[in-house]
Amino acid sequence: MTPTSTTRDTGGSSNPEFVNARVRSRRAALFDDEDYRKLVRMGPGGIARFMEESEYETEINALASRHDGVDLIEYALNRNLAKHFDDLLRWSEGELHEQIVRYLRFYDAWNVKTAIRGVYSGSSPEEIRDDLIQAGELDETVLDRIVEADSIEAIVEALEGTLFEEPLVAAYDQFENEEVLIPLENAVDRAFYSELLAEVDDTRQQEGPLALYQEFLVAEIDFLNARNALRVARSGADIDPDDYVIEGGDLFSADELRTIGGDPDQLVEILRDSEYGDELSGALDQLREADSLIEFEHALDAALQEYTDHLSNVYPVSITAVMSYVLAKRLEVENIRAIARGKEVGLDQQQIEEELVIQ
Amino acid sequence: MIDTIDAASIVLQQESVQKLFLNNKGAAAIAVGLAAIGTGYAQRGIGSAAVGAVAEDSDNLVPGLIFTALPETLIIIALVTIFVVP
Repeated sequence: MTPTSTTRDTGGSSNPEFVNARVRSRRAALFDDEDYRKLVRMGPGGIARFMEESEYETEINALASRHDGVDLIEYALNRNLAKHFDDLLRWSEGELHEQIVRYLRFYDAWNVKTAIRGVYSGSSPEEIRDDLIQAGELDETVLDRIVEADSIEAIVEALEGTLFEEPLVAAYDQFENEEVLIPLENAVDRAFYSELLAEVDDTRQQEGPLALYQEFLVAEIDFLNARNALRVARSGADIDPDDYVIEGGDLFSADELRTIGGDPDQLVEILRDSEYGDELSGALDQLREADSLIEFEHALDAALQEYTDHLSNVYPVSITAVMSYVLAKRLEVENIRAIARGKEVGLDQQQIEEELVIQ
Repeated sequence: MIDTIDAASIVLQQESVQKLFLNNKGAAAIAVGLAAIGTGYAQRGIGSAAVGAVAEDSDNLVPGLIFTALPETLIIIALVTIFVVP
């Protein structure tokens, strides 16, 4: 698997027709309810066999000699995800390519965070390497360097010249003083989202596909903030909202969250009154009754997915169809991973089904 | 004197304009040409989508071909102009 160079000349027009046709075909090939129902009844070996007969065949075969059980499934999922997202970059041209590159930097952020956590917990370079998802913009040499770094400082140095450098350097002092990873991880997330929104803000539009794409990004950030705020509120930890809130969302600002002071009920009220209230009302009721954060988070995922699906039907020739595929693929990978991990620790069928986000 | 020259040149101009200007068949040809551009533009998008769909699954070849050929109707109907014009 060779990473695609993303620094090509992006002049010229984009080709949404071609990309969308391919993406929709792949979207249709993802696992459906029926497949999940089968998977939930299988053990890790069975899941691996099932995947071997599906479109994960190449990855399973390539990795089967080195790994087995749940690890095999997980690495095959990661590789397959990277392959598909690499394909997206390969096909797309022009402005569409630019937009996809920016969005897939999500995996750069993911890789950087994985490497930082790995080094912090003292994992070996091979272990970290296996956990990376090579779907972003960072090329193999940079990834090799951050994987083989022996300290977090070395990782920051290896990222010189990328968009993560500046925020990481800024957060490094705080990390050294407090010895916790949160500032570094948040710096990475913020670098990713602020870059994503900066581009969109430049061309703030009132209507058309780009305006809806902006709305989607804002919704994603809002949901992320809501999730983090609820988690913090639930855990009862006293963390300054400044440390985790990502700028750019409409729903929460750090100041607002500080005044709420970690009261879950008030957070839920804010969510209910927001523009997402309608879509989330069922999930919010559940949150109140069942007291389960996991189901609420899954409802957020499902709501976001539904929203992008809707957008991709309204504006077929824009990035929205790609967005919907990227989200759907990511959910599929998370679902299969949840099933495999759930089986490994011996959860029963119903518990695993609760872990799944199925449309 | 000057008036007559002016009048004569106007007549000359009108004659040359009439000669340069399209006759009916020529205008119909332009109409067909424009329709061909429209067809090409429509097929550009449909064609690239069709190629994408076929690349994913070769079963899509036949529907892809049909949809790509659909805008041909534009130019075929535009061709009628040639015969309708006297």
